[in-house]
Amino acid sequence: MSVPATYPADPVPSPEATGSAIRTSRLLKRYGAIEAVRGLDLDIVRGEIFGLIGPDGAGKTSTFQILAGVMEATSGTVEVFGKPAREARSQTGYLTQTFSLYPDLSVAENIRYIGDLRRVAPAEIAERGLRYLKMFDMDRFADRLAGRLSGGMKQKLALVCALVPEPKVLLLDEPTTGVDPVSRREFWDALAHLAADGLTIMVATPYLDEAERCHRVALMHLGEIHQTGTPAELRAGLHAKRLELRTTELAKAEQLLTQDAGDGREILDVQRFGDRLDLLTVDPENTTKYVEEKLKSPQLQISEIQTREPTLENTFVATLRSLGQEIRPEPFPGRYDHTDLRGQIAIGATQLTKRFGAFEAVKHVNIQIRYGEVYGLLGANGAGKTTTIKMLCGLLAPTTGEIQLAGETGSLRSQSVRQHIGYMSQKFSLYDDLSIEENLNFFAGVYGVPESERERKRNWALSFSGLEGKEKQLTGSLPGGWKQRVALGAAIMHEPSILFLDEPTSGVDPLARRAFWNIINRLADLGTAILVTTHYLEEAEQCNRLGFMVAGELVTEGTPSEIKNRQEGHLIEFVVDQPQGAADLLKQTLERWRVSLFGDRLHVVTDESAQAGIQSTTTQLAKHGIQVLGAREERFSLEDVFIGVVEKARQQGKVASED
Amino acid sequence: MKRLFNHRFLALIQKEFAQIRRDRRIAMSLILPPVLQLMLFGFVLNSKVQNLRLGVIDESRTPESRELIARLSESESFRLTSYYLSPDALTDAITHGKAQAGLIVPYDYARNLQRGRQANVQFLLNAMDANTATIARTYAQSVIASYSANLQSSGLHAEFSQIAVPDVGRRGRVDLQPSFLYNPGLVASWFSVTGVLGLLCILNGSLVASATMVKEREAGTLEQLLMSPADTSEIVLAKIVPLFLLLCMMALFAIGIMRVVFHVPFHGSFMLVFAGAALCLLSGIGIGTFIATFTQSAEQAQLTSFFVNPPMSSLSGALTPMEAMPHWMQPLAKFNPIYHFGVICRASMLKGSGIETLWPNFLALLVFTVILVSLSVWRFRKQLG
Amino acid sequence: MRRILAQTRKELIQILRDRLALALVLVLPVCILLLLGSSIALTVSHLPIIVQDFDDSSISRELVDVFRASTSLYVTSWPTDRQPQDAFMTNKARAALIIPEHFGRDVLRKQSSPVQFLVDGSDSNTASLVAGYATAIVNAYNAIHSGATSPQPVQAQIRLWYNPGLSSKKYSGPGVFVLAMSMFAPLLASLAMAKEGEKKTILQVYVSSISAHEFLLGKILAFTLVGLAECVPLLVLLHFYFGLSFVGDPSSFFVATVLYSFCVAAFGIMVGAAIPSRVAAMQMVALGGFLLVFLLSGLIFPIDNIPIQIRWISNLVWGKHYIYVVRDAFLQGGGWPSTWLEVLIIGFTGLVFYTLAWRTMRRMQVKA
Repeated sequence: MSVPATYPADPVPSPEATGSAIRTSRLLKRYGAIEAVRGLDLDIVRGEIFGLIGPDGAGKTSTFQILAGVMEATSGTVEVFGKPAREARSQTGYLTQTFSLYPDLSVAENIRYIGDLRRVAPAEIAERGLRYLKMFDMDRFADRLAGRLSGGMKQKLALVCALVPEPKVLLLDEPTTGVDPVSRREFWDALAHLAADGLTIMVATPYLDEAERCHRVALMHLGEIHQTGTPAELRAGLHAKRLELRTTELAKAEQLLTQDAGDGREILDVQRFGDRLDLLTVDPENTTKYVEEKLKSPQLQISEIQTREPTLENTFVATLRSLGQEIRPEPFPGRYDHTDLRGQIAIGATQLTKRFGAFEAVKHVNIQIRYGEVYGLLGANGAGKTTTIKMLCGLLAPTTGEIQLAGETGSLRSQSVRQHIGYMSQKFSLYDDLSIEENLNFFAGVYGVPESERERKRNWALSFSGLEGKEKQLTGSLPGGWKQRVALGAAIMHEPSILFLDEPTSGVDPLARRAFWNIINRLADLGTAILVTTHYLEEAEQCNRLGFMVAGELVTEGTPSEIKNRQEGHLIEFVVDQPQGAADLLKQTLERWRVSLFGDRLHVVTDESAQAGIQSTTTQLAKHGIQVLGAREERFSLEDVFIGVVEKARQQGKVASED
Repeated sequence: MKRLFNHRFLALIQKEFAQIRRDRRIAMSLILPPVLQLMLFGFVLNSKVQNLRLGVIDESRTPESRELIARLSESESFRLTSYYLSPDALTDAITHGKAQAGLIVPYDYARNLQRGRQANVQFLLNAMDANTATIARTYAQSVIASYSANLQSSGLHAEFSQIAVPDVGRRGRVDLQPSFLYNPGLVASWFSVTGVLGLLCILNGSLVASATMVKEREAGTLEQLLMSPADTSEIVLAKIVPLFLLLCMMALFAIGIMRVVFHVPFHGSFMLVFAGAALCLLSGIGIGTFIATFTQSAEQAQLTSFFVNPPMSSLSGALTPMEAMPHWMQPLAKFNPIYHFGVICRASMLKGSGIETLWPNFLALLVFTVILVSLSVWRFRKQLG
Repeated sequence: MRRILAQTRKELIQILRDRLALALVLVLPVCILLLLGSSIALTVSHLPIIVQDFDDSSISRELVDVFRASTSLYVTSWPTDRQPQDAFMTNKARAALIIPEHFGRDVLRKQSSPVQFLVDGSDSNTASLVAGYATAIVNAYNAIHSGATSPQPVQAQIRLWYNPGLSSKKYSGPGVFVLAMSMFAPLLASLAMAKEGEKKTILQVYVSSISAHEFLLGKILAFTLVGLAECVPLLVLLHFYFGLSFVGDPSSFFVATVLYSFCVAAFGIMVGAAIPSRVAAMQMVALGGFLLVFLLSGLIFPIDNIPIQIRWISNLVWGKHYIYVVRDAFLQGGGWPSTWLEVLIIGFTGLVFYTLAWRTMRRMQVKA
């Protein structure tokens, strides 16, 4: 189906042509004995979106604080538009990782305060504030308290505040953590727009799908930068292709193919997703044959095998591996096997409804999750995900509807039920003021893991977290991503047959995330039912089945492929000579969500056939003097599907868009 | 009960202890307040009227006037600071606090005495502090009265006795002989530290308890705990038991300070005082837990406790005598555990009273404790469930 | 200047939005002044005493009646066969008057007749008071019955200045007023300051290149205003419930009040800047505001009674100087001549706190 397109070299402006916006040299930051930033050399070009990609604890926040001029470097130099960072503060806008505005001030009051602090004239504060609020479609909320906004809106407000003094550089430290996909896309659309207007943007993110939307990307790990380049360059630098393999028995296929995967082999890497395996290889044609051969003997049915470009994630996994960062935990020392339960319903809900006063948070939801299944529950902020999970695991009583949990329908809070449940909640599931070891001991004790097994389980959890030998360390001193690993380890020590994971991988680096999903798949193979929520749809591909929640309703359910195939219309990727101009133009005639900018590429969703869509768009753009350099149909990503679903629901008036 | 002592409960208790061990603030608030409050209250809160600064205008400048001045300033209550020449200067000194009392001996003082006439002196007192003034007035009166009596009886001023009307009194003098029981030296700190102990138990108990109880909700770990098989009563109990034990140690420590530093006598049973303190601690834990159920963070809990603690301590009779309160307030104190503990503590330590006289206070304390603890545990459990 | 006002406006909006904070500065101080001001007093009247009359003659009954007539003491009878200590044990009485047998007879024989007065000394101050009251009663009795016509050679005319009614309320009212002023505004100030650090909003301030002076002054100004707002209902209560009004020129009081509000606000901000944890900062302010001002400032207990070794500390306690000014304004009326030094000291202490706060904040950077 895909129309082959040859991309021109990415039109990244060169430093010589436009000059550097930010230049650092041998930047070093030491906290006591720890070196958070180790000799950073950056050269960020004016007008580009520069992505700093790295897990928690990589040194991103320290870097940002130094660039923003709010912290002194131990050594090294920073220049922002030719001035030391501290003197360039009036030209810098800085969004901190956590929401750093005042929740008890209204939107307008926050803008006014920041504007006043930065000596913007009152009339200009009002004018610019309104302009940017309009740009982000937030002008209706000027009087709302900032604390009452959703995560995405808060970040947009923070962006507005940062923009009111009209800075030349924006420093964004993980601006989209905890923000749902719809808001994230809007946020990135706004960034693309600002960059096109000449603003230099440096943005940190732990997520690689966002990295695709940057002009250039750098991978940061343990205080050092390991790779820099455009996304395309980085992908090309891997010198490999990706094979998507769909087969009936993923677990078995994975096992077979992993055996002889590795550097220098036929297959470089195997990764399992919800309904496919991804194989990395240098020579796709030969490997295809090899795989077909290999799977013939156990008679595994190959339903599809396709060659694709590698993802950025593939690149970074390869880089991290070459740095020796891979964690190879011992196999989980599970004693119990829940495979006998396989196929039975673990979590079931019929007509589940929850009302808070007049507000219906969850409306008639029906869910059935079987033992051995990984089910992903997705939804925007406020869609009712958290409420649903709380009801399913018995923390919250439903208004109406029935729930079945581990075979129990009556008292979900009984001890015997909870004994079978593992639960890892959003951010805090460990005690910060206990050591890692004490935390593990506590969870082992409270769940009654037998004395004889505790040692082994604890060691496993430590090796899984990569924290062997650090068990005396205080949990609170760990970066978020590491804490998450310990938390997962703690949550499964008692071998639950049902596992609730509420955004388990936020802040976790790609390699560790793979380890996470490895163990999740392993547990599912043992018959455990797993319910996962995430904001990152790339990750959702790893689930067996997905459910999309919109405004309290479960609107779509199915395997990732099913859901993607169900999506109507076509996604077309254009390469044009004026990406931002094209996007702005198309947004005038098409709904906003149908057009988005990915770096230098333009994604357009059309309901016509692919060819017709390409033609009509090309002619429309040509009329305004914009030349289309290449176009091809792309597969919908889950994110595209998700946004489409939410937007359609919004059009049908189901979603009262944030009020 | 047996069901409680299982592996879960053990794990919960161990966790609490480990957290407490790490929490330097808890350790601080178990040691610092007893030391600081006992010391400060014990050493500083001293209402004894002594060494009041006396300013004098001696217009008479005679041996007689100097004798009167010597009598006053030799007493424990007054200390002669300086002489002034004019009433204005003395007034100024009293207004500026350089002198607290003033004596004006008129120029005709000695002459009047010598002629057997009554001699008037003026005694000025800065009465802003009503307590000091009341006591100082009595002292001044009795010093001057006894000086007068001396004049009458001794032969020194025979002229006066001769001229004075002979003793026509119909009766003999009544001679009041005060003696102070239990605290013959009138040591002020015995009163204050015995009161502070109750304040410590309740207020510190409630502060530490509210912080501990709200902590889990603030950190977001509560949900995780609720998903575990642990029962809500196990969770609550596992929080209260270590707190209670630690606070008991604090109470013992405080009692130790009272004994060693302030030499408070222990006439009664130590167990009685300790049992009262334990009940107070439980009441304090109850109050703290109750506050915690209404708040979302340690900050809020502490702010809220400002609405509870000052009224409770001021209506307790712990630092000032109960009878000093307005009459309409006095019955309120009967609903205050601090008041009952204060009674128990003082009566037992200083007077050696036993349970046979103190049982009503004990009963009241017990009732409050049971009510507070069960109310707060009920609310806490309801929130968990 | 504009940045200072922006900072002030922001703080005030935040306070107005926070109901707990509002209650804390507007409602709670009033309650505390009402409760503490009228209950923390040492002067006690109507103290219960018991009488054991072993004589039971007309003379002894006459003496008892004199005791009964007193408003300071309140007499209940106690059976002669019970130990008077029992009454002390159960707190039924503060003292016991024991009239021995043959008392009446001895008095009539013009002999000096002792009566025993047992006082429960466990509360030393009240014990002194009771003994004083009883002595005064007996002196008066003697004056009437044993030497009525003989004038005392020396007669003292005692004048009670500034509080002739010896009302404790008038003494403790201003004290508790100062206590309330020392507590709540700085408490909120320290919270607001520590919160900026805890919630990382301080980063936005740092990046805005506002100077430490502007930032601190803006915040302090806001909480000075909060303190002044707190002061209004308290003054109303002092006037109507405590019966206090200005004696003489109140201008030094007003200047001192503004300076004191600034001083305590600066104290709160300083603590919040130095301790970036809200709970710890709050405890610190509570310690400084409550314990120091309550104990070391002469609020109820005379400073002169503080052991000499630590008395000098009280000169460093900012509340002490303000209490002096407040009492002067309401009771003595000395005005500027007698209070200028205190007013200066209050202002100076505020400057010291401000400077310390500025020293912690001056770099306006993340400390690492």
